[in-house]
Amino acid sequence: MKRGLFIVFALFLSAFVVSRPLFAHHSSASYDQEHPITLKGAVTSFEWTNPHVFIYLDVKNDDGSVEPWRIEGNSPNMLSRAGWKKEMLSVGDHVTVSGSPAKNKTKVMRLVSIIMANGQKFDGQGFK
Amino acid sequence: MRNFSIGWFLALTALALPLGSLAQAPAPPDHAKSQAAAGVPDFSGVWFVREYSRSILPKEDPPFRPETEKLFQQRIYDNSHHDPDKSVDSTERCIPPGVPRTMLQPFPWEVVQAPDRIVIIYEYQAIPRQIFMDGRGHPGDLEPTYMGHSIGKFEGDTLIIDTVGLNDKTWLDPMGLPHSDAMHVIERLRRVDHDTLVDDVTIDDPKAYTKSWTAQVTFKLHPDWQIQEYVCAENNRNK
Repeated sequence: MKRGLFIVFALFLSAFVVSRPLFAHHSSASYDQEHPITLKGAVTSFEWTNPHVFIYLDVKNDDGSVEPWRIEGNSPNMLSRAGWKKEMLSVGDHVTVSGSPAKNKTKVMRLVSIIMANGQKFDGQGFK
Repeated sequence: MRNFSIGWFLALTALALPLGSLAQAPAPPDHAKSQAAAGVPDFSGVWFVREYSRSILPKEDPPFRPETEKLFQQRIYDNSHHDPDKSVDSTERCIPPGVPRTMLQPFPWEVVQAPDRIVIIYEYQAIPRQIFMDGRGHPGDLEPTYMGHSIGKFEGDTLIIDTVGLNDKTWLDPMGLPHSDAMHVIERLRRVDHDTLVDDVTIDDPKAYTKSWTAQVTFKLHPDWQIQEYVCAENNRNK
């Protein structure tokens, strides 16, 4: 009887394994989209370049230490369609960025959205 | 009486439909009129994928050959376990995405339509693609390339693009879905409304899959956009 139950259970498991969509998740390569984070920091540099723009931020931790982060947005083409301008960020601006951190734990983030010092919010990929 | 009522209902509906369509449809641009006069649909304009996804797959997995599935799983693993500046996806190092992935990238593309050919200008990596519409076939001695050789024809309201001569250096999507150099891609594009283009992409690749399979992608018209410059190598961090 126990063996019968085991076979039924094994068949159930195998059916699940075979029929499930193997690649249903569409995670973004090296960035952890499932665990987004938000950072506040001061801009130290802004590169308005292809293929992606880069914002460099000094982020102050709770203990007062400062960590440099690299924030990667989409291309100037796509961002300009979403209202971005080359001159919109200056060194020293305090901004809030939300996005996906690198899976390898380096201080790199793929940008989803940014809130500027004046409160304006922009999409980080230019899709909206 | 019943038949009479149904008959009148159908007749009135038939009369009302075109009037309703005319009332709701936006005025077509001039080039659309000229193409319509030539008797073929007009897909001119700037299009952008309606909803970006890293996967081209439909709800179910395609009919993998075992070695293809193994390669795909390896790429998925590699994709998720690398430094952000050392991507295993060759497009990150400015290698062309190939057909059909070039349609799916999160960048717009523009259809320029002439009687003998259609040219698609892809903003991503600034790639032009020629689709010959003059009735020619594929050359017999094609050297495999990233974009292959495309010929097209209209069947009713559908543009059918047939592409061969593709190398095996590209992925079908950003997830890493593999294909071989035997791949034959058939794209069927139709405009379901003025602003929406549906593309049924059939992958016929007997070396990589046990039978052909089809995915569907939808694009939206962006009349206020134009294709801009994109220089992949300018400040590229991938090595």
